[in-house]
Amino acid sequence: MRNVIEANSLKLAYPRHEPVIKNATFRVETNQFVFVTGASGSGKSTLLKSMYGAMDISGGDLSVGGIDMRSISGSKLYKLRRHIGIVFQDYKLIKEWSVEKNVMLPLIIAGFPKDVCRAQAIKLLNHVKLSHKSDKYPMELSGGEQQRVAMARALAHNPFLILADEPTGNLDDYSSQVVWELLERANEELETTVVVVTHHIPEMFNAEYRHLMIENGVVYDIH
Amino acid sequence: MTFIRNHLGLILPLFAILFAIEYLLVFDRVIKDYETRLQEQYTVIVVAEKSVEPNQIKHANVLVNSVESVDAESVLLRIRKQISKRNLEKIKAVIPAFYTVKLRHYPDKKRLEKLKRDLLSVKGVKRVQIFEKVHDRLYAMLLFMKTNFYIFGALIGLIGFLLVMKQMVIWQLEHKERMQIMALFGAPVWLRSGVLFRLAFVDALIAILLVTGGMVYLISDNYVKGILTEMGINTTLLLHLNDLTYLASAGFGIALFCAMWVVVRFREEL
Repeated sequence: MRNVIEANSLKLAYPRHEPVIKNATFRVETNQFVFVTGASGSGKSTLLKSMYGAMDISGGDLSVGGIDMRSISGSKLYKLRRHIGIVFQDYKLIKEWSVEKNVMLPLIIAGFPKDVCRAQAIKLLNHVKLSHKSDKYPMELSGGEQQRVAMARALAHNPFLILADEPTGNLDDYSSQVVWELLERANEELETTVVVVTHHIPEMFNAEYRHLMIENGVVYDIH
Repeated sequence: MTFIRNHLGLILPLFAILFAIEYLLVFDRVIKDYETRLQEQYTVIVVAEKSVEPNQIKHANVLVNSVESVDAESVLLRIRKQISKRNLEKIKAVIPAFYTVKLRHYPDKKRLEKLKRDLLSVKGVKRVQIFEKVHDRLYAMLLFMKTNFYIFGALIGLIGFLLVMKQMVIWQLEHKERMQIMALFGAPVWLRSGVLFRLAFVDALIAILLVTGGMVYLISDNYVKGILTEMGINTTLLLHLNDLTYLASAGFGIALFCAMWVVVRFREEL
């Protein structure tokens, strides 16, 4: 199996602050489903950010998709991000775009023709049971619905890696269930590697998974 | 409503700047036209004891454009009937030579005084009439007009510039979130700032059309035409085809600069 993420003695710190992650050494292989847990402020989100190049690396090594994240330049980073699906706790939908156009975003960036983007967006909105709201704007949707749109967007371009930062943190039970099901299906059917930062691993989660836990800035491979 | 507000935010200051530019262009032409008319009407009279070679006068100062001698016959024609032939011959023998001097442009007081000194230094020239009082009054008026127009134009331009600066900050805040999200999904700079450039282009186009349309209206409106003609302003001076090039360059240039400013100042904050 190929390593999708590889961290060796990784150290992450914000400017003029003590390192949040002092030592992280782990590997994530293709098609794995990984939960990253830890107390609030333990550095879970910081670790995830480093995986999509939004956090400078203070020490050690990190590679994502075989690309060294320490020396990654602007255009290379944007190229890498075009193959990653990211889900945020605060959804990060473009508020002046319709639901459908939001889902189309990664495909527009990849340069697909408009009709292809639209067909894929409709298909995914069907999956998240929001096809009837494709013309609405994010502000017209509930939090749970917005996160389902964000999930559809993260899956639109068949990414090799999905990074999710507490994707169900603000959601009701129904929306949480839809989100977990989608992540499981993407992992099983599309063989997408999934890394989810969360406070708790959901009880109803059925698929096989790995568990990384952060404590005092050190990443432990629990399971 | 937000759409209109977004567009007006740039259209209005751009309109002010372009209007200031057009205003300065038009009044520059009107003042130049007025200056040309003053220069055409203004003549320096040179009086010499005997006939002087006109080229000597012409080369005395760079301001001199042309020199014409005044025919003594035409002066004497008026008094011919009142005096005897003998006396007329006597007058003819002692009458000085007169020359009218036309200038290249309407000079200021200092240059005019130098011109007078230079002309007086020409051998044979005994008197130079420059009509200082009339000249000084007209020149002061011209300077006053020029200064006022430039100050007014500069003020409108400055207000427009400040509004454009404000709009740039608003744009930065408005587009930041969308640009951040697009950057997260790997959108290249041209794609995530495409909306901004389209907005800038459309706003610049509207502002250019508004200013040009306003000027075309002024030219074709009979009431305005009448007022301008009464003021002695030639209405053909109002809008030149070249102005459109200046307005388009300034309009698109400023709008492009605004969009570039927002793009360059974009920093990923996650």
